[in-house]
This record gives sequence, C-alpha cells and structure tokens, in this order.
Amino acid sequence: MEDFEYLRHVTIGQYLPGSSMVHRLDPRTKMVVLVLIAAAITLNMSYTANIILLAISVLYVQLARVPLGYILGGVKPVLPFIAFLAAMQLLFYGNQFIGPNMPNIVLWQWGIIHVTTGSVQLVIISILRFLQLLLLASLLTNTTTTTELTHGMESLLRPLGRLGVPAHELSLVGTIALRFVPILAEQLEMIVKAQASRGAETVSKGPFHFLQAARQLAVLVVPLFMDAFRRAEDLILAMQARCYVGGKNRTNLIELHLGRADYRAIGINLVLVVLLIAARNRFLF
Amino acid sequence: MTHRTFGERTIVVAGILGAIVILLGATRLGFVAVPTPLGDATIMHLPVIIGGILEGPVVGVILGALFGIFSFLQVGSPIFKDPLVSILPRLFIGITAYLAYATFRRVSEYAALIVAAVVGTLTNTILVLGVAVLRGYLTSEAAVGYGIAAAVPEAILAVIVVVAVITAWKRIETGRGKSRV
Repeated sequence: MEDFEYLRHVTIGQYLPGSSMVHRLDPRTKMVVLVLIAAAITLNMSYTANIILLAISVLYVQLARVPLGYILGGVKPVLPFIAFLAAMQLLFYGNQFIGPNMPNIVLWQWGIIHVTTGSVQLVIISILRFLQLLLLASLLTNTTTTTELTHGMESLLRPLGRLGVPAHELSLVGTIALRFVPILAEQLEMIVKAQASRGAETVSKGPFHFLQAARQLAVLVVPLFMDAFRRAEDLILAMQARCYVGGKNRTNLIELHLGRADYRAIGINLVLVVLLIAARNRFLF
Repeated sequence: MTHRTFGERTIVVAGILGAIVILLGATRLGFVAVPTPLGDATIMHLPVIIGGILEGPVVGVILGALFGIFSFLQVGSPIFKDPLVSILPRLFIGITAYLAYATFRRVSEYAALIVAAVVGTLTNTILVLGVAVLRGYLTSEAAVGYGIAAAVPEAILAVIVVVAVITAWKRIETGRGKSRV
C-alpha cells in the first residue's frame, strides 16, 4: 500500500515549529539575508572565505535550533551525483581552474587526465558551496511558514510595482500553488489506485523499460492534468463571479513589521557580505 | 494595465500548474528511471511547456521561475545549488515552447504540439548545461555527452505527455468528447 501514499512524500517547505531567534525574525529579513549570503557564496572561490561562510551557515542553523542531522539527512539520495561531479572536476579540470593566490601545481598526470592543486580546490569549494546553500535554503523553509513566505515575497516585490511588476498577483500565484499541492496529491493517489485496480502496473521496473515507463507515466499524468485544469476553470469562474480585482488597495489579515532584531540581522549580514566580497581576491589561500 | 495581462486566468492557471511542478518534484513522480549519466530523465518541465502553450509566455515565465526556485531549494545534483544554473535557464522554456507552438500552429495542431514539446525540452537541456559549462561545473565535451543522453529520452517523454494532455483537454473544452476519470 505504501506505493500509493503520495502525500507523505511532499516535503517542500517542511516547517519545523519553534520559537528560536530565527523563527521570530520577519520572513523578509530571512529572504534578504539568504540572497545576500548566496551572493557572497557565488562570488568567493577561496578556502578561507568558504570556510567562514560554512561556519556562518552552521551557526545560523544552531541559532534556529534545527537539528543539523535533519537537514543533512536529505543529502543521502544525491551522494552518487556529488561523487560523480567531484570525480569529473578532479580529473578533467586541471588546466581550467586556478585558485586566486596560489600556483597551479600538477599532482598527477596520465594521458588527458591531470590532477592539479587547482582541481582539488575546485572539488572542495564546490562541496563546501553545496553544503552552505543547502543549509541556508533548508533553514528558510524550516523556520518560515508558507503563509509568511508568500506575504514576505509580496511585500518585497511591492516596490517593483511601479515598474509594472504585479507583486500581489505573483504572490497569489505562489499561494495557489502551495495550496493546491495537497489537493492534487490526494487526486493523484486516487488516480493511482483507480489505475491499479484496473490492473495497471504502477511500480517502476527499472531503467531499461523506458517505453513502458513512459506509458505508465502517461496514464497517471494525463488524468492529473485534466483534474487540475477542471479545478482551475472552477476557481477562475468563482473569482470572476466575485468580481476579483487584485493589486494596490487590498489589505492583508497579516501585517508584517520589521523589529529591532530584523534591522540588526540585516545590518550584520550586509557588513559581513560586503567585506567577504570586497576581500575575495585577497585571501592567501 | 497590468490587470489585463494579469487577470484571474493567468494567476490561477500559473498557480495550479505550479502545484503540479512541485508535486512532480516532491513525489519523484517527475523522474523516470532512464540510464543517463546525470541521473533520471525529468518531466518536471512539462507543466511549464503546457502552461506556455495554453496560456502564453507570461504563464510560461512564471512557471519556469517556480520550477527553477523549486529545483534550487530541493536536494538534488549540486550544480543546481547555483541560481544561475537552476533558475535563469528555466525562464525561457515557456517562451520558446509558446513561440514554437504559435509558429507551427498554422501548419497543423499536432505538428505544433510536437515541435513545442521538443523545443521546450531542448531549451531546458541546452541552457542548463550551457550555463553549467560557463560557470565551470562541467567540461564542454562532457556537457554535449550528457545533453544527448538526457535530451533524447526527455524529448520523447515530453512529446507523448504534452500531446496527450493538450489534445485531451481541448476535446473536453469544446465538448466533442467525454472524458472523465
């Protein structure tokens, strides 16, 4: 029966309730900090900067009192990908990557394969980056409810409204998407059961039955889309019947307020990120 | 103004197809076991293509962004932890699929759907791998290899699903057929 339970596997935005410092921050603060640190991570290639950034990420996870093992537990299924990419970078990137202030020393050469200090650095930095972004992105969804996220997104996009970006409408798209995930998951479960009761094989037979897999997929996905479209038409009709008008003058049930802690968090992170980006080529190793 | 291009239809269709994107990714239903070096073939970009074809490029871009953000937040291949790889290329899937559909529609509805599905899939594969090469995650030779290995099964899947979904929906919409689950 386990094969039929789709709802259980929907883990996006797994909110872990809590009352830590990070939980209590305004959702906008958390999003701004995530974007700032992501910028620092993308621009820094040195060991020093990346170790600092990893330490910061771990510190934030600790502050939120989210178990580190819980976040890292999700990495297991993708370990083969990571190993594969790391091996590629290690063996074929000898020439193309040289760290900022270090000579590129060839460690091992054999035919077209050569391992250099540069490619070793590339592998380690890539893994560190992956860990940093994984920790921070999970931290955002683990400490913020989806309602908070959509309200935060709307209020962050609002200033762009003057440029013609429809902030309210975009956040409504996000709300509808998150709201309909469980509804469609339930529908999907029903479709799978309906097809299975008619004798359809719903369990994958492995990688070498491609056409069969495509057919199995079509019998599930097509009814799923039909149901989704039907629900969309109903919702559109309901909105039109109520003369829905989006935009400017709507008020919200939840009003967001930036407190002192929020300004402090944004300030500290801004300084940190500016320093890390300004000094990105000055680290010795 | 914005209301006319951004009416209820745009919001609702983008939202509900966005829910399908998330569902396909979160349940792993969106991945079909195919022996490609970068992992399983994906159909997560299909709601983006379908949205682009049915409701135009605006819905396509929104869905592409949702797909990108989701693949950035999800635990997956480490190259997708770079927003330039995971989000930026996905914005174009809906646009190219829509343009392909609009161009070939005059020839034949079926041909247009097939071309749009293939073009949308190729946009995803080529741009993602292209940016990955530019950002130094893959060598260009390796990217071409993965591209061919991933794009062929994904394009076949895309054609099957896109044609099935859209013809089925249009038949229901015009009331010519009866289709109920």
